[in-house]
Amino acid sequence: MKRRHRTRAAQGLRWLVYLLAVLLLNLPVIVTLLTSLKTDADINASPPIWLFHPTFMHYAEIFSDPTLDFPHYLVNSTSIALGATLLTIALALPAAYAIARLGIGASFLLPAVTNLRVLPLVIFAIPFYLAYQALGLLDTRLGMMIIGCLINLPLALIMLVGFLRELPRELDEAARVDGATLLGILRLVIIPLARPSIMAVAILSFIYAWNEFLFALILTTRHATPVTVGATYFITSWGVRWGATAAAMVVSVLPPLLLGLASHRFLARATTAGAVKG
Amino acid sequence: MSAAGRTIAFGQERRAGYWLLAPLIAFLVITLGFPLATDLVYSVSTVSFTALWSPHWRGLGNFVDVLQDPVFWQAAGFSLRFAVIATVAEVALGFALVLILNPLLERHGWLIAFLILPMMISPALIGIMYRLMLNDFVGIIPQYLDMIGIDANLLGPQCVFGTLVVIEVLQWTPFALLALLAAYQAIPAELVEAARIDGGGSLSVFRFVTWPLMLPALGITAFIRFIDSFRVFDQIYVLTGGGPGTMTTSMSLYIYRAFFEKQQIGLAVAASLLLLVAAVLLLRVSLTRLLRNEPA
Amino acid sequence: MWKSLRLSLLAGAALAAAAAIRPAFAGDVTLLFWPGPESEAMQKAIDAYNAGQGKTDHVTVKQLLFSRQGYFDKELLDLAAGSKDFDLSLVTTYTIGRYAPYLAPINPYVTPEMSAQFAPVSLNSLSYNGKLYGVPTDISLHFLYYRKDLIAKLLADPAWQKTYTAIAQAKLGAALTPKDPADWTWQDFEAAALFFSRADNKASPTRYGTALQMKDLIFNIMLWQATLVSNGGNWLDAAGKPEIDSPATKTGLEIYKTLVDDKATSPASISYEFPETNEAFQSGQTAMILQWNAAYAELNDPTKSPVVAGKIGLAPLPAGSLGHKTHVHSLGIGLNKASLHQADAGKFLAWLATPAAMTVYGEAGGTPPMPSVLQALSTKRPEFKLIGNYASQYGFVVKGGTAPYALPVYTALADAFSAYWAGQVPVEKAMAQAQAGMTAAMAQK
Repeated sequence: MKRRHRTRAAQGLRWLVYLLAVLLLNLPVIVTLLTSLKTDADINASPPIWLFHPTFMHYAEIFSDPTLDFPHYLVNSTSIALGATLLTIALALPAAYAIARLGIGASFLLPAVTNLRVLPLVIFAIPFYLAYQALGLLDTRLGMMIIGCLINLPLALIMLVGFLRELPRELDEAARVDGATLLGILRLVIIPLARPSIMAVAILSFIYAWNEFLFALILTTRHATPVTVGATYFITSWGVRWGATAAAMVVSVLPPLLLGLASHRFLARATTAGAVKG
Repeated sequence: MSAAGRTIAFGQERRAGYWLLAPLIAFLVITLGFPLATDLVYSVSTVSFTALWSPHWRGLGNFVDVLQDPVFWQAAGFSLRFAVIATVAEVALGFALVLILNPLLERHGWLIAFLILPMMISPALIGIMYRLMLNDFVGIIPQYLDMIGIDANLLGPQCVFGTLVVIEVLQWTPFALLALLAAYQAIPAELVEAARIDGGGSLSVFRFVTWPLMLPALGITAFIRFIDSFRVFDQIYVLTGGGPGTMTTSMSLYIYRAFFEKQQIGLAVAASLLLLVAAVLLLRVSLTRLLRNEPA
Repeated sequence: MWKSLRLSLLAGAALAAAAAIRPAFAGDVTLLFWPGPESEAMQKAIDAYNAGQGKTDHVTVKQLLFSRQGYFDKELLDLAAGSKDFDLSLVTTYTIGRYAPYLAPINPYVTPEMSAQFAPVSLNSLSYNGKLYGVPTDISLHFLYYRKDLIAKLLADPAWQKTYTAIAQAKLGAALTPKDPADWTWQDFEAAALFFSRADNKASPTRYGTALQMKDLIFNIMLWQATLVSNGGNWLDAAGKPEIDSPATKTGLEIYKTLVDDKATSPASISYEFPETNEAFQSGQTAMILQWNAAYAELNDPTKSPVVAGKIGLAPLPAGSLGHKTHVHSLGIGLNKASLHQADAGKFLAWLATPAAMTVYGEAGGTPPMPSVLQALSTKRPEFKLIGNYASQYGFVVKGGTAPYALPVYTALADAFSAYWAGQVPVEKAMAQAQAGMTAAMAQK
């Protein structure tokens, strides 16, 4: 009896820790969401109010501003992030297979790509600007996809190598005995088996590409502007319009947020556990 | 383990394997070849925005300037301190949450979804959100602090470092949590059971089973968080711009500001090449350990 | 889950491929601006043009906005790289020298008769090497904003005056008596700020005397440097050498520091810029501020500032040994040298330089530096008359303030001085750093 009490108390404590952690970690999002639904007078109220009549005026404001085009920014972000993700997987998966299973490239390619992640990418800003200008890639979604892919490659490669090393070898040995080519093994054996891990990498890649800010600021002008940059348009020379900024931020974090919510199962695998055990 | 984990490919298969690597290598060469070459040229040149295509030879002067710039060392120190403290805090908090919450998360998998939301948000936007929350007049944090009688200036010189670290930790502890949770749940139950049967209490189970099995995961999680926090840029850029003074100028911000605001392109590039060299050395050591590659 | 995700990935691939093809755009004239009140006012002017004169000119103008975050970095990079994405762009006094190589002079489109309508200071501040590079659209300078009700009481109440003198004696070593803000010296300003701060005067009706802007930001240096110039200092000496380590700099820096140390300005003002100072004043907890003229409309608007609207007095910034001074700069619209539509863009500039266009712009919230327009609009915008007067009587542009190195110098000064105000370095070191930073910025090509 006593023991059951104790476990129940422990259970209650766990829920408490969980709720506190969720609240604390998500505080910026909660506050931003509430701010976006307040009138300007409510935003300025002191002490802050938690209960109020929600208004959607700030959402109307950001979507009706004649000089901005939020739907367009959303389409941009979506296509850039998707394109970057596909490119990342297409490049990293075969390479990860070669590294993990054939032992090729582990000594030079893996460290070289990982180095990329350590560098402040801002040093590539001007060369990329010059190259993109010469190639006509400036202010294009294709150009931004390439940037997104570069940002994602290091983590994607490390993770995929880790995952592939975890898969049982017997299956591709068997396929090899049956005379399958490398590409065949990759397509028929590895990809189906590694599907959840690939999804995990894809989801993380999508999120990282969606959230890229610095290059978007420098390399886009109007056609390829993503929402992360669009959300800063209500920071003006004479102050920040908090209501509109909050609404714009909610709109721009919603897609990756929903994706993360929907795919937490994959993400729970999207960890480095695989890489560790390799 | 690493030797068993891979086979050495021979002949035809090896050649075919290179074809699998080729697209990635080609992509990197095409996209990074020109920028790297440009940066190498810029690092030994005097170059200005007026003449981006025609740099003048300067020799190693940029490197000398960087190494003599106290702000460079200050920025390096800031990034290092920031990354170390944030990483330790993230991994420790993440691990603690795993230990406490695992029974819950094992039973209700969906609970993890709400814990990892902060990871999904652009750090630049997180920075702007905190600008709202820390605002002296409309921000909830100063207002509540004020109510309980604390007149803390969270972006002032005494607190700003701590504030930035806390922001980083709150956003990225979920990453550590996620990474460590998977590793924790992968610990074979038989091992824990066996330790229990041998008479171990929870403490000794932790010490002799959990801890050693979690070490590699802790290591690589810390590694990934370290390199990401070391190059912190977005949220500092929108929140403090590197100030007060140059107190919160991180390495990335130093390079950005030298680049654009001060127009010292050669200096900025030289600084980043130095950083690259440091990174290569660091990675050579840590990667071989963490990824269990063949010793290089 | 997997199936739907795969479907969406495929759909995304198709979308991405389609989106990668760049859409063609019409050959309209594009004006690059930053988001905010200026671009909103400009949009009204553009609408008026497109609906009127633009029809005759066969020109349609569109506005393109860049994020305020890193605006100048991006604009410079685009101009320097010869971008053709925009034809007209925002130019400012402090960037004119730097951008001039990538801009086309607008003299062919704006005749001397036309430009004679503008205040000379605004034309000068957008000229470089004798050529005009922008149609001035906004003039910016600083006011001392104060609470009329509080100052009136201070000037009438003997008990307050006694306390005032006692505080001035204790903190500043001078037995000052309250004066009208129009006659203040920097010391009077300090005394009043101390008097209206609860840290120094328990009976103060406001929490803080003032709200200084001390974030590491170039605009805050523009505001601060009135303390420097009014005390006889400047960026450069007569020979054109940097003299930012002069005694006047020290005087100016210490005015701020005294107020920080005595908590006459909120400790958080270390990270204040324009909006925070406004908010401090709007809350009713700050007695007076040094602020840009652009703040007046909002501060005196009863719906936006219910606590202080109608109670605001304006005065010139406090006087130093050389009297009152205020930094002045202009914003304007310049012509991209690489533009493919220069003639069309020029037609718009010619229209923009007319009193009619400037009136539309001014009514929509801009501050056009055209005395006739400022005068005509002064019933609606009472501060406009003062702007004209202060600009001509007290306005200055620092020596070197339009040079190519102006922006890097501002950056260096902001770095050094904000570090001093934050207590990170002593004043001598901050001044030495500023001098070194300035020298380095000037040495650069």
